Amino acid sequence: MDLDKLRKTAAEIVSRDDVKYLIGWRRGTFGYRVSPHFVRDAAGADELIFSPLCISNLANYLTLVEKLPVPRGQEPDTRKVALMVKGCDSRAVAQLLAEKGIKREEVVVVGLPCPGMIDRKLLAEKYPETEQAAEIRWRGEDFVLVDGEEETVIPRAEVLAEKCRLCRHPNPVLSDVTVGEPVEPWAAAEDSGVAEIMAKNAEERWAYWEEQFSKCIRCYSCKNACPLCYCEDCILDRLDPIWVNRSVNFSENTAFHLARAFHLAGRCIECGECERVCPAGIPLGKLNRMLAQTVREEYEFEPGLDPEAEPFQASYKPDDPEEFIL
Amino acid sequence: MSAKLLHKEKWSEFTGRLSGKNLWAPAVQGEVKKFVPVAEGETVSLEGGNTTVPPKALIFPQTETLYRFSRGEEEPEPPAIDEEMVLLGVRPCDARAMALVEKLFRWDFDDPYYLKRRELTTLIGLACNEPEINCFCPSVGGSPASTEGLDILMTDLGESYLLEVLTDKGKAIAGAVEDLLEEAPAEALKQKEKLAEEALAGIKWSVDPEGIPEALPQLWEDPLWERVSAPCLGCGICTYLCPTCYCFDIQDEVEGSAGRRCRSWDSCMFAEYTVHTSGHNPRPSRRERTRNRINHKYSYFVDKFGEIACVGCGRCSSLCPVNIDLIDILRQVKAAQ
Repeated sequence: MDLDKLRKTAAEIVSRDDVKYLIGWRRGTFGYRVSPHFVRDAAGADELIFSPLCISNLANYLTLVEKLPVPRGQEPDTRKVALMVKGCDSRAVAQLLAEKGIKREEVVVVGLPCPGMIDRKLLAEKYPETEQAAEIRWRGEDFVLVDGEEETVIPRAEVLAEKCRLCRHPNPVLSDVTVGEPVEPWAAAEDSGVAEIMAKNAEERWAYWEEQFSKCIRCYSCKNACPLCYCEDCILDRLDPIWVNRSVNFSENTAFHLARAFHLAGRCIECGECERVCPAGIPLGKLNRMLAQTVREEYEFEPGLDPEAEPFQASYKPDDPEEFIL
Repeated sequence: MSAKLLHKEKWSEFTGRLSGKNLWAPAVQGEVKKFVPVAEGETVSLEGGNTTVPPKALIFPQTETLYRFSRGEEEPEPPAIDEEMVLLGVRPCDARAMALVEKLFRWDFDDPYYLKRRELTTLIGLACNEPEINCFCPSVGGSPASTEGLDILMTDLGESYLLEVLTDKGKAIAGAVEDLLEEAPAEALKQKEKLAEEALAGIKWSVDPEGIPEALPQLWEDPLWERVSAPCLGCGICTYLCPTCYCFDIQDEVEGSAGRRCRSWDSCMFAEYTVHTSGHNPRPSRRERTRNRINHKYSYFVDKFGEIACVGCGRCSSLCPVNIDLIDILRQVKAAQ
């Protein structure tokens, strides 16, 4: 990745009068951490990076940002937000556009073809983190950990994130500016995680999810990290009536996770953020990928590829055979 | 205070004996390390770093029933809290945190639930010989071998554990396993001092909190809050897993003609936390919520109770999915002064 070009492009974009800020990534404060970076002026662009640790999807910030009332006498800030996206992230933007959650003129999409990202937890298990912020690069198929003069090659298969093993869209599906050459999509692996669960019978599956959901501490990081969980009036936050109690137990936790999963069916673009941010290690990706797989196979629909597409859950065909209705 | 030595070959007998006293110890479940009950015959390992979920969750459970009620019954029924509990392997930072949290629960009202559970709990600590990446307890008045809040402090000396018995509760525990312990020789105490010094030297992060409580109110409108809160997801990780955070919300859960009033952890990082009935939210964005989190720990609590409500365990920094780092924020506060 040509970081100079990335930073120069970003600096040009944030210097535009019609751009409020650009969201990218910067090195974190320690170890393998990377932080979202909000670039507000050309100087801020110098800190931008794009490395195999930039796994997080920044598209959630498009809807996470609070719409505060505009003080009397002031005009609303209608400038665009520029966003750096990998292939999967760009699908979130496309899906937000399809759902009219955002408007095309509100965003500048900076596309970054993605050769695959590292799962930080896998990496830290094999190469323990230190208080120094580490530098990692792509080299050919593999990754390389750079420590001054010293370089350690890390084989791709050892640390590649699960979502990247399954990736079918490494190149952004939409962008206004692209930095870097398109990458050759690789053969997506079989989703062994989902297959493993589907091989269980209903009781075993229930037991599996009971164990998983019992671990939940209801921190809402999955909900807040999800780029497609952005309802202003969320059923999970409702107090009158309370659909999901605040008490933390298997029953309420299950209601919470299933409500989210149902609402994401046909909308989830498989960026894996829910699972990545979960402090309890709940494999939420498997749940959402199962639904995505079903929608793909049964309805031949894949969300987040076409910003003009009719949203799956909002479409209706008068000639639908509706074979499942008794 | 008395000092005892427990040889490691007697470890399983030691934990086995304590397991009859409702013993809890750290265990890894999947990705999460937390305190779990130890059944008789189960092995307890104190290897590795601190727990993901702090032991506060045992004294101040994430959800607890305050009382049950039913139609026709005039008196609500509070649950009985009468079981003693022994926590083994509590880190000094987490024990200090309990001492801080207790100030709140003893403040204008004696919280019977928290205080009763705390009273019934014995804390057997474990000194940190190998601090973790984000530890910074010395900056906020702690140390890897602090005894504050503990009943016994254990130090791993390699072949044996040194047990410093600090309170009457600690004495009762030591008395119950007296035949497994021997008097600690002077060199064991010396070795412990050396390990404590090495641990202290092994702590990488530091920030001098001097001046921060006074500076924070002056920085109310400082652009730093927008900067540090921009990546925030607004989730509850940093507060739920903080050993000194104690906010809760109370709700009634009713089914048919009976129900319970319960309290669950709440977080100032949630939008809903400060929403008024009118719909107005005095902390309308993550900027105000992040500012509150830091102000609460490093200014309001100091005003009210004279101490910083942070023990430097580093969980908020280690567990934040977007690398919002407390040390980084505190340094920015100092720089903006």
